[in-house]
Amino acid sequence: MSKVIIYSTPTCVYCRMAKEFFKKNNIQYTEHNVAEDDIARETMVQKSHQLGVPVIDINGEIHVGFNRSELERALGLK
Amino acid sequence: MYDLVIVGGGPAGVAAGVYAARKKLKTVLVAKEFGGQSLISTDVQNWIGTKSISGFDLAKNLEEHLRVQEGIEIIDSDLVNRVEKLSGAFRIFTESGKNFEAKTVLICSGSHHKKLGVPGEDKLNGRGVVYCSTCDAPLFGGKTVAVVGAGNAGLEAVQDLFPYAIKIYLLVRSEKIKGDPVTFEAIKANPKVEIKYQIEVQEILGDQLVTGVKYSDKNSNQIQELKLDGVFVEIGSAPNSDIVKDLVRLDQWGQIMVDHKTQATSEPGIWAAGDVSDVLYKQNNISAGDAIKAALNIYDYLNKNK
Repeated sequence: MSKVIIYSTPTCVYCRMAKEFFKKNNIQYTEHNVAEDDIARETMVQKSHQLGVPVIDINGEIHVGFNRSELERALGLK
Repeated sequence: MYDLVIVGGGPAGVAAGVYAARKKLKTVLVAKEFGGQSLISTDVQNWIGTKSISGFDLAKNLEEHLRVQEGIEIIDSDLVNRVEKLSGAFRIFTESGKNFEAKTVLICSGSHHKKLGVPGEDKLNGRGVVYCSTCDAPLFGGKTVAVVGAGNAGLEAVQDLFPYAIKIYLLVRSEKIKGDPVTFEAIKANPKVEIKYQIEVQEILGDQLVTGVKYSDKNSNQIQELKLDGVFVEIGSAPNSDIVKDLVRLDQWGQIMVDHKTQATSEPGIWAAGDVSDVLYKQNNISAGDAIKAALNIYDYLNKNK
């Protein structure tokens, strides 16, 4: 099974879309709220060199933003 | 062959889709996502019939309303990137490589966030350069940032940053603020905010992440630098009219010119509605209404040309 981590903020709709997508496809994920969790924010920036959410880590592969077809491919759903 | 292709899934595209389905037009709607630009709004309070709704829920409602219509075909997560004129019909091409023919086309492709167009901007996009303040403001806790743009979007970005950033520069190109006076008063009263007028951003600096901007100051006629962790670009939007720019008449801002009675463009068989058109007020309710006018007019047109 894929190990999925999402770095998000509570106000980010694309994060919500990604999470709904995971739920719909029964994908387990760990969420870090980078608005509050400074350590997670640092980890996210280190991993992705990004200061923008969502950042999604699928088995160590970094995806920036919510792109459904890209995630489907990464998760082997299609 | 479809009767109608609807390009876009915002309030205009969805409204047209619902009406076209109810008129039993053979319709396909192509959209990257639903909800249009309001998708990222925290709270929409002027969608008529609904006191308050998040952009996310508004988008979901629109999508649901469309999906319950019988007979409409929906291609989501895809974009129309070209419209070609055939004799008496059009061929529509999408980003993912699909193409199909239709008798009529309704463009509801909305508008997109304008970029500054300066060096460093693309390279540092998502690395301190931000186009969605609602999404990313919380990442700038304890940081120094600048907001570029003095319309409502710019002022709202400053407000989004209040709880997080320690210092917020508002960089204004002209000598005055264009946004709402009420919001502006709130911003002026906040000690974190420093407003600089007559500023032209020349370059966004940084290697891995944003470290600052280079700007010219029209007051002193000097090039200066500002140390920053983030640059929020809020300089307005531009219509997504590229896909039909060679087919229909556009105004000086690239908006599709329409007959405001019917939403018909200069090219018979193509209509446009919503923010991509030269409508005077860019509003969800108006986009929906204008697109309905278009759908009904397309229905009449197809009946006449049977």
